[in-house]
Amino acid sequence: MSPAPHAGRLEAVGISKRFGGLIAVNNVTVWTSAGSIAALIGPNGAGKTTLFHCLTGVETPDRGKVRLMGRDITALSSDARARLGVGRTFQRLEIFPTLTVGENLQVGADNRTTAHMAHRIGGLFAGLIGVTFGDQRRNRNRVDEVVELLGLDDVRDTPAETLSTGTLRLVELGRALCHDPTVLLLDEPASGLDTTETQRLQQVLRDVASTNVAILLVEHDVDLVFGLADRVYAMAEGRLIASGSADEVRESAAVREAYLDVEPA
Amino acid sequence: MAWRRLRRPNTSTTASRRQNTNLLALNYAFAGLGLGAIAALSGIGLIVTYRATGVFNIAQGAIAMLSAYLFRQLVAVWHLPKALGAVIVVFGFAPAVGALVQRVVFRPLQRRRASAAESLVATIGLTVLIIGIAYQVWGAQAQNAVSLLPQHVWHVRSLTIQTDAVTDLAIVIVGAMLLGAIARWTSLGTSIRAVVDRRDLAELAGIDADRVAGIGWSAGTFIAALTGILIAPQVQFTPFGLTLVVLEIFAVPVIAGLTNVPVAILAGVALGIGASEMSLLTPTGNALGIWEALQANLPIVALLAALLLRQRLAGGGGDAGTTISLARRRTTVHSVRRQVATYAVAAVALLCPLLFPDVDLRQAQQVPALAVIFVSIVAITGYSGQISLGQAGYAGLGALLFGRFSTHTPELVALLCAALAASAVGFLTGYPAIRRRGLFLALTTFAVGTFVSRFVFQQPYFTNGLQVDRPSIFGRSLAGDHAFYAFELVVLAVVFLVMTNLRGGPLGRSLIAMRDSENGARSVGVDVRTLKVFIFTVSAAMAGIGGALLVQQGGAFSPDAFDPLASSIPWFAVVVVFGADSAAGAVAGAGFVVLINAVTNNADFFQILIGVFATFIGLLPGGIADAQRRLLDWAAHPRSLIRQFEAAAPEPHPRGQLSKAGLAAAEHIRARRIAAAAKP
Repeated sequence: MSPAPHAGRLEAVGISKRFGGLIAVNNVTVWTSAGSIAALIGPNGAGKTTLFHCLTGVETPDRGKVRLMGRDITALSSDARARLGVGRTFQRLEIFPTLTVGENLQVGADNRTTAHMAHRIGGLFAGLIGVTFGDQRRNRNRVDEVVELLGLDDVRDTPAETLSTGTLRLVELGRALCHDPTVLLLDEPASGLDTTETQRLQQVLRDVASTNVAILLVEHDVDLVFGLADRVYAMAEGRLIASGSADEVRESAAVREAYLDVEPA
Repeated sequence: MAWRRLRRPNTSTTASRRQNTNLLALNYAFAGLGLGAIAALSGIGLIVTYRATGVFNIAQGAIAMLSAYLFRQLVAVWHLPKALGAVIVVFGFAPAVGALVQRVVFRPLQRRRASAAESLVATIGLTVLIIGIAYQVWGAQAQNAVSLLPQHVWHVRSLTIQTDAVTDLAIVIVGAMLLGAIARWTSLGTSIRAVVDRRDLAELAGIDADRVAGIGWSAGTFIAALTGILIAPQVQFTPFGLTLVVLEIFAVPVIAGLTNVPVAILAGVALGIGASEMSLLTPTGNALGIWEALQANLPIVALLAALLLRQRLAGGGGDAGTTISLARRRTTVHSVRRQVATYAVAAVALLCPLLFPDVDLRQAQQVPALAVIFVSIVAITGYSGQISLGQAGYAGLGALLFGRFSTHTPELVALLCAALAASAVGFLTGYPAIRRRGLFLALTTFAVGTFVSRFVFQQPYFTNGLQVDRPSIFGRSLAGDHAFYAFELVVLAVVFLVMTNLRGGPLGRSLIAMRDSENGARSVGVDVRTLKVFIFTVSAAMAGIGGALLVQQGGAFSPDAFDPLASSIPWFAVVVVFGADSAAGAVAGAGFVVLINAVTNNADFFQILIGVFATFIGLLPGGIADAQRRLLDWAAHPRSLIRQFEAAAPEPHPRGQLSKAGLAAAEHIRARRIAAAAKP
């Protein structure tokens, strides 16, 4: 079942990753398509995080390929992937605490246009003498847009370290959005959020997806996933046990077995 | 200078001629055994403290040195019996110092879960403080050490064996077995492992974590004292010399991964015997000089190699360490009024020396030179979060190469070339920095600085006949004291301009992003690898320029001016104390060092003051600059203070402690937050 190519699509084909004797991920294939939300679920130890790390470039898979719009990015580092348009957030917040919310987003916007090594190095030395590359006004406008989209205007000038986890999850999302990602990978975006904040996050993610971004999220909150995702992948013990629409996965016997620990009838 | 007084086997020349090579090798092995055993002992002491407290005690060397001096004082000056002196120092003084240090310095840090960087700075501060004290009390002159163990020589057939070497090894092996037994079979051992794994959980389980940490510190300092007393007769016995030897044999715990005691013993003994066996080979010509330098400095070579070959230093705490707590400045620009005021004060203070009499002006000339070096530490540590304990290495290279180049080229060109050459070494150091952080990076940069000092600055091949002249511009000489000082100020101003660019704009934001969270920075495409190498390159170039200015000021190159222990480490401490993220603080720090030197007429007195400050850095993590900033903020906008206040303790609201205006401001902020949260 190889889908037709989509713009902004990230696909991981036949990924396997082994840690010593443990096969954390075993021949798993997932993909995301532009404008839709995919979700990865599974009980603890299912291999979700390892697969996620293979997608973001934190781990290199032993077998299999990661492709971004047809381009093989398996061997690229996480920052190189980011420069190609793979945005991400973290389960444990990785915010810049001493910068304000606006500056946090600005860092995302600053680094949009620096794809070539020579260009980046040139930019560093130019920065040393006070010359900046790239369209600063366009970058600022992008920050304005994202602040507007996420409703962060009230805290824009507040140092990030003084804000609550819920707000900071949005800031992290905003930082990734300012970088103009074609694919957005979210690691448990709802953990630490209360009900209101989760609902708001749901709305924001739908808005983001509607701007033609492909979203893949790893999430424990099954209700959130089934309410939000267009396509769900369920993993258990390193294998993909079900994939399809939310309803299909919910009805899958293998998923029930994995989650409820009962033998299929 | 270190590790140099290696013993040669006591064999007469005729005898040695008759000995076959195997026998000679065996004799050399026994000759190196004692030093090797002491190196192992020192390594074990470090591992004990690290495993029990999670703190890598850089001050181990200084405590060993202090104990050795005290022992000498008791026995040689106050004529106490050796055994009594040893008992007082090793069983009384040293464990007491360990317990005190834990109680006063590290317990408060651990209680509030301070960053590993703060603990690191505290141990650096302790080192600087203890060396400063020893220097004041006993002076820099090398002393004759008192040997604790009786030194007999056994002749077994043609073998020559020193009894004390055998005793040293016996102490190490028995001690290690005792430690192993304690760790495995006693409840204390279990408690230590529990506290190191998860302090909070261990406390919930009823373990007194403070007691465990206290015991860890006492045991570590006990071993340090023993190390110091045993090693003193075998090395150059000065405050700096002895401390540095112990710091260099950090190679042993690093090879042992900060955990493995048997490996530490093997590594220590191998180092001692290896250095001794090197005497077997005597190359000719230039190679001899290199070979001898290698032999005398084997531990530092081993340390550097071990650090470069390792992927990580230790599980958990060893690699942890963010400098955020030391460098909290945000990119937010202050009001124009405050900036103008700051620059005006700085300009007046820096221009004042032009009115001084010549003698004072000549001393004041050190300020801009040191300031440039200190600012380079701010760039790397404060702005980018990379700890560098090797900055004197780059400064010294700049100084040395300026001297070399300026004989062939105009001085200004030579200055630029020296900066470029120093930056090339910075570039090379930047590579290992890509994967290293915190303590691991600190040790690596320290090893690089020491390596450069030993293999370049102290080799006559590089430094002989070095002539240093002050520059001239367009045929106009700047050799006069006033002209040279003005020239230094211009250089400092240029460096400041670069620093402004490193702080603001996209470049500054990327650096702070890297400092605050490397993963976060990577996730938006910041090229962290390139950025780290870049900032090391730039910082080394700055340090090189500062070093060149320093040597132009003094007129001659002295290796001691760029010593890792006498310069790099105290300089780093000064910068942190004055505010790791404040370039202006760095200039003030330079002024402070020179002023204290001038007032006390004592080149090392400032170490005591800075040592005390740095040891207690936990009380004021942002340093003096941060305190000043907060004071000014408070004076200008009490509101911002309230905001911090509220951030620190959001609920319950500290109403009783706020003024009326403060209360209104806090209510306003809270209302805004509630409104923000309620927004759909």
